[in-house]
Formats: sequence, structure tokens, C-alpha cells
Amino acid sequence: MKSILSAPKSGSTVSKRPVWLVAFGSLVALVLINWFLQPSFFDGMVMHSNLTTFLPLTLVAIGQTFVIMGGDIDLSVGSIAALVNVVTVTVIAMAGGDAASVPIGLLTGLVVGVLCGVFNGLLISYLRLQPMVATFGTGIIFSALALWVMPQAGLSVPEVYWMTYSDFVLGVPTVLWILIAGFLFVLFMQRRPFESHLKAVGGNRAGAFQSGINMSFVRLLSFALCGLFSGFAALCLTGETASGDPLIGQSLAMGSISAVVLGGTMLSGGVGGAIGSIFGALLLGMIGNVIFFAGLPFEFQTLVQGLIVLAALAGGVLVARK
Amino acid sequence: MSSAITVRDLTKRFDKVHALTDGRLTVERGEIHALLGANGCGKSTLSKIVAGAYAPTSGTVLIDGKEVSFRSPRDAEEMGIALFYQELSLIPKMSVEANIFLRREPRNGVGFIDYAKMRTETLNLLAMFKDAIGDDIQPDALVADLTPGQRQIVEICKVYAKNPSIVIMDEATAALDGRQVKVFFDILRKKREEGVSTIFISHRLDEVFEICDHATIMRNGAVVAETAIAETTTEDVVHMMVGDVKKAPKRQALDDEGKKPLLKLEGVGSNLLNDVSLSVAPGEIVGLGGLQGQGQSTLLRSLFGALPITSGTVWLNNEQVAIRKPADAVRRKVAYVSGDRGPDAALPGRSIFENLAAAILVSEKRKLVRAKELRPQLAEVASAFKTKYARMTDAIGTLSGGNQQKIFIARWLATNPKVILLDDPTKGIDLAAKADLFALIRKLAESGVAVLLYSSEESELLDNCDRIAVFNDGAVVTELSGAEMDSFHLTRAAYGEA
Repeated sequence: MKSILSAPKSGSTVSKRPVWLVAFGSLVALVLINWFLQPSFFDGMVMHSNLTTFLPLTLVAIGQTFVIMGGDIDLSVGSIAALVNVVTVTVIAMAGGDAASVPIGLLTGLVVGVLCGVFNGLLISYLRLQPMVATFGTGIIFSALALWVMPQAGLSVPEVYWMTYSDFVLGVPTVLWILIAGFLFVLFMQRRPFESHLKAVGGNRAGAFQSGINMSFVRLLSFALCGLFSGFAALCLTGETASGDPLIGQSLAMGSISAVVLGGTMLSGGVGGAIGSIFGALLLGMIGNVIFFAGLPFEFQTLVQGLIVLAALAGGVLVARK
Repeated sequence: MSSAITVRDLTKRFDKVHALTDGRLTVERGEIHALLGANGCGKSTLSKIVAGAYAPTSGTVLIDGKEVSFRSPRDAEEMGIALFYQELSLIPKMSVEANIFLRREPRNGVGFIDYAKMRTETLNLLAMFKDAIGDDIQPDALVADLTPGQRQIVEICKVYAKNPSIVIMDEATAALDGRQVKVFFDILRKKREEGVSTIFISHRLDEVFEICDHATIMRNGAVVAETAIAETTTEDVVHMMVGDVKKAPKRQALDDEGKKPLLKLEGVGSNLLNDVSLSVAPGEIVGLGGLQGQGQSTLLRSLFGALPITSGTVWLNNEQVAIRKPADAVRRKVAYVSGDRGPDAALPGRSIFENLAAAILVSEKRKLVRAKELRPQLAEVASAFKTKYARMTDAIGTLSGGNQQKIFIARWLATNPKVILLDDPTKGIDLAAKADLFALIRKLAESGVAVLLYSSEESELLDNCDRIAVFNDGAVVTELSGAEMDSFHLTRAAYGEA
């Protein structure tokens, strides 16, 4: 029987196709359709405004990818973004509301984002709570904190903040710089052992443990990264709206999870990467665009968007299963 | 010069169970040392303590003469000890090279993974097996796409990638073919010359005699002998593993009319089974013996349709049958009782009644559950077993392990099965409940049911079976009956010596 077990079935025929190929292909197709429906699509202004709209979800999706690769999930990202938004705006106002107080606000906001992520990570990797339930609960807590910090939308940020965000730096839109930075970060992480360890934890917990990986710490770190990126997203939203809103970002949780899965990362963990999630998030945004420019009646837009997301998810799953 | 490993007075207790009462071991540098014993003798426990996976209850472990107390496998790894994981520690969805260097990735100056170096070192490691596999295993292939033998080779490479000075090879040859084993032994000998000490655990005695220098033999949690391989024989070693030979109680032979087989297997094979032929007559209890994981459970699950059978024929009542899914088996009056009650049998959180009714609903293809009609019928089978329960509506979890197992057997009795497959059914059950279970199983057999019983405890097989088919590597080594039914023959066959 031993000869049956090790019959020369070569392992060399594995396809080297990256997991994000489906998302990327769909993205290109949607861009072409959008271009056809809206000939001005490639104008600088239009691209700039589109990117500004898509950027927050893209950043959250990057963070969410790390959590999902480790076999967990974070439903609290939207609430983290809201909390970071109101904290940033409030801190800037308290620090004087001038240009000098902006960095203090940004930094505080990011620290709050990371702390939220660490709190999630502690509950899940050290107290062993179920990630879905735990982050659902912490999400409510973060929302409540946001409402406590700022019960009603308001307070404006200094001009320099939103001007810089919507303007150009060295001839390139700020939002594009941020997207590029996100891309570079993802490429950076891809080459670091951490991502490999995270996939091992998500792919086979027992094997990761036996290989000596500090699983709790790796999972904690993934949640902290997710909190950080929710924070980045909140800062972008703040730049876009120029004010604080405790109810901002409510669609980010489901949106980011959809983007991650569209990008080829498996919800069960262990397979995927944040490059795909970037394409997935842009794809989600483009779906909204195309439906709008196709002139569908408003009542049907959400329905069609849901159907397209479902179809894309099913397609991605079918391809991944092969 | 001190020994590579010295273990003294080692004990390990899990709750109330003494897994190890007297662990002793001395392994010299550059030695291949066999650890031998029957199921549950403590050899896995002993080797896991040396590898840092378990903490001992008491006793000392010296590595190169220095006393150590490992808190995790990682501590042991830092001392140069590497363990081959029998269940494999590989991540299926990762590449071969990423698996081999998981957590020990070579890095370049900026902390990035040095993929080029990883590739070269992986190729070097795989080259050790070149004579057996050529370049069948690509470093960037996914482990999930490899055969079991290839995966095992990757796991071996992962062990040697750590440059260990002490290696524990627990069943490292299980999925390798003859050529691969030969190459693997060459590697072991080469490492021996380099001063690497190897603890070798195998279910094949011939391998032990081929490769090992010394052997430590264990029985019931204690070391009973240490010997040089050159100064002993397989017979002696088996005698030491067995101790006092336990004989099966005399049983009266079945009358001729009962000899017509109810269940007959001819050359049954699958990826884990090799050419298994067996027959069970009505009223007969046939045991499946051998070390754990040699295909006994696989055979029972395959007969129940839960695992595929790829070759050979199965006859039920002189009729050739194809059982492709458990529902087929149930309708043909074949029942399966697993020792892993949680995952395999329990409907957790549901009532005793629902748990009892699960099988009869399938076998009778009922569309509606008429509780009033079923309840008295099920209560009757449950009470036939002395099952202790308060109300049929209580949750199954309120019962003890033994009483739960009685419920799961009663579940099948309600369907009037002709064949019962018992897969280590007494796992985690107290002695009184075990006695009840076996009394019931014998009563079933007397009523004309054919019983196939796998047990990891050889005394259960010897006490209850009419014949025992002993498994090694997915094949039946020999069938014991009559005068040969004793612990000596059982252990010898379990180690592949027919």
C-alpha cells in the first residue's frame, strides 16, 4: 500500500496564479464599462473625486485582511473609525484648533485606533472569545464611546487639514499618495515573516503552534494593525467631511469584509493577501459608480449592488476552489 | 563525556491517570535509540516530555549532562532537540519552503524574508531524498497538493532544517514507501556519523532491528528493559513488551450452521487500506488489533460509507453491495458506534429521545417524527442496557460518558442491525460501564448479529473476540484464533511480525 500512497503525483503543477487576479480582472472590466457610460471618467477631477470616495474603505480593507488571514474577523472597524474621527476632531479643537494642533489630533486618533485593536486582540487571542461575537460587542462599546465624546455631529477641523487632504502634493493628489503608501506597506508586509506566520496561524492552528509560533501575539498584532488602518481611514474621512460625526463609517465593517473576500482572501483564514483587498475595495466602489451611471432607478441600486457583490463572491470562491 | 539524553525517575500524571510511572532513558551522542512498547505504554508521553511538549510530574531530564526543564517545545528546540510530529505540523495552504522554514525564515539585512536563500536551502534539504523522489517535490508547491509520503518527507526536512543534535522520530516512516524508507535510513546513518542522536519510534520491528543501536522497552508506563539491538532478538523484545502472556478465555466454537459469513470482504483497498480480506459470521465477534492508527478505524468507517473504498468487494448476506454513504449502510442494517462520541455520535444539546431516534428515522425513511409512537419502543431498548437517565426529554449532555455510549448503541439496536461496527467504543468510559457494554455486545452476538470490534486495549479484544485480525500499515498481517489468541502473538503481529 505504501506504493499507492506515494505514487509519483508531482506537486509541481500548482498554478502560480495570484489570488487577486479575479478581483483585478473584474476591476478592469468595470473601469471600462464606467468609461463607456461616463466618458469623462479618466479626467483628473473625476478620478480624484472617485479615489477620495473609495480610499477609506480601501484602507480598512487592508487592515481587515490581516485579521482575516489569521482566521479571525473584525466587525468593529466602523465603530473604531467613528471613535477615531470624533477623538481627532475633539483633540484638535481642544489643542487650539489651529494648524499646529492638527498633528496632535492625528496622532491621538491613531493611538486610539491601535488601542481599540489591541483591546479586540486581547479579548480574542488571550481570553479566547469568539472573534465575531467579541468584535460585535466591542463595536457597540466603541460606538457608545464615540457618542459620549461627541453626542452630535459638529466641530470643524482647521482649513489646513481638509485643504491638504483634497489638494496636491508635488503635483500628485494627496489621496493618491496615501493609496501608494498603502500599497507599499502591503508589499513591505508581504516580505516580512509576520504575514507568513499569520497565514500559518489561520491555516492550521495546531501546526503553527508546533512550529513554535507565538499564536496569541501574532493574532493580537493583526487586530492592532486593523485598528491602525481603521484609524487611517477615519483620518481620511475627517479630511473629506472636515468635521466630526459619531455615526460615520457604519458600512465599513461589512464593506471591508466583502472587499477582502472579493480580493481572494479566504474567510476561513490562511490564504490571501492585502493586494487583493485593495482591488476588492476599489471594485466595490466601481460597482456603485457603474450602477449610478447606468441610470438605474434609485430604488434598485442597492438591490443590484447586492446581486453583483454576491455574483463576484461566488465567482471568486469557484475560482479559488480549483 | 556525558550522554546526549539522560532521563531519570520520570513520571507523568494526567488527572488521575498515570501515563508514566518510571521513565528512564539514556541516549548517547551519535546513537539511534529505539523506544518500543504496546499501545498506551508511555513511549509517546516520554518522548513528548523530552521534546518539551509535556511537563513531567516529577523526575529529571539531562541534556548533555545539564539538567533542563522545558516550558514549551520552543525551549527544547533551542537546546537542539527537534521532534517529528506524527500528525505532521505542516500548513497545507503554504508552500513547501515556507513550511520548512516557518518561524525560522532566513532574513536579509532589512528583515525581509530572503527568498533566494530559502529556496537554496530547501533544495539542499530535499536533495537528501533525491534517490527516492528525484525532483518530484518543488519548493514552491503547496503542501496540500503533495501525497502523504511527500508530506512526510517535507516534515522530515523541516526537522533537519533546525540543525538539531537530538531528533525524535515518532512514526516518521509511516507513509513512506520502501525506497523512501531506505533513503531515510541512509540519512539517519549519516546524521549518526555527524553525532546526531535519534530516538526512533516505529510500528515495524524489522525497521528497528535494521537501523537502531539500542532499544528501551516500555510496558504500562514503565521502562522494563534497556538492551543493545545486537544482543537481542525480535522474540525477546516482544516478550519484554508483553510481560506475562495473557491468554484469551476458552470459547466454544460456533456450530457449522453459523459459519456462513454474514459480512465478507475481499481485497478491500483505499488510500489507507491495502487488500483487506475478512469474514464475519452471524454471532461472531471479530476483533481488529494492532497499534493505533494502522487502518482499523478507517476500515470500519469505510464499511459504514463514511470513507471511500476504491477496490475490492464487500458482501453482505451473499449479496455484493456498494456502500457509498452512511445512509446506504443504515438501510442495509449496518450500525457504527464510535468511541469519539462528541464529534461522531452526539447530537449535542438535544434530548435523549432525539439522540435515540436518530438512526431509526433514517433506516425507516420516516418523514414525520411521531414521538408518542416511538417513545415506548426506544425506552425499551434503552432500558435493556441498564441506561440510567431521569427523563427522555433531558439533554444528552446530562449523562455520563458510559451512559451516553449506551444511548448511542441503543440508537442502533432500535434499527435491528445485522452488522455492528464498533470503533474503540469504550474510550473514556469507566470500568463498570465497560463491563455492561461488553455483556451487551456478547448478547447481541448471541442473537445472531455479526460484530466487528476495534479496541486500542488488547485485553478487550482478547476477552471478547472469537478471532482477531491484526493490522499493520493498513493491511491485515495475520488473523489470530484459538491457541494463538494471546498478548504475545497480538503484540508481535502488531509490530508487523507475522
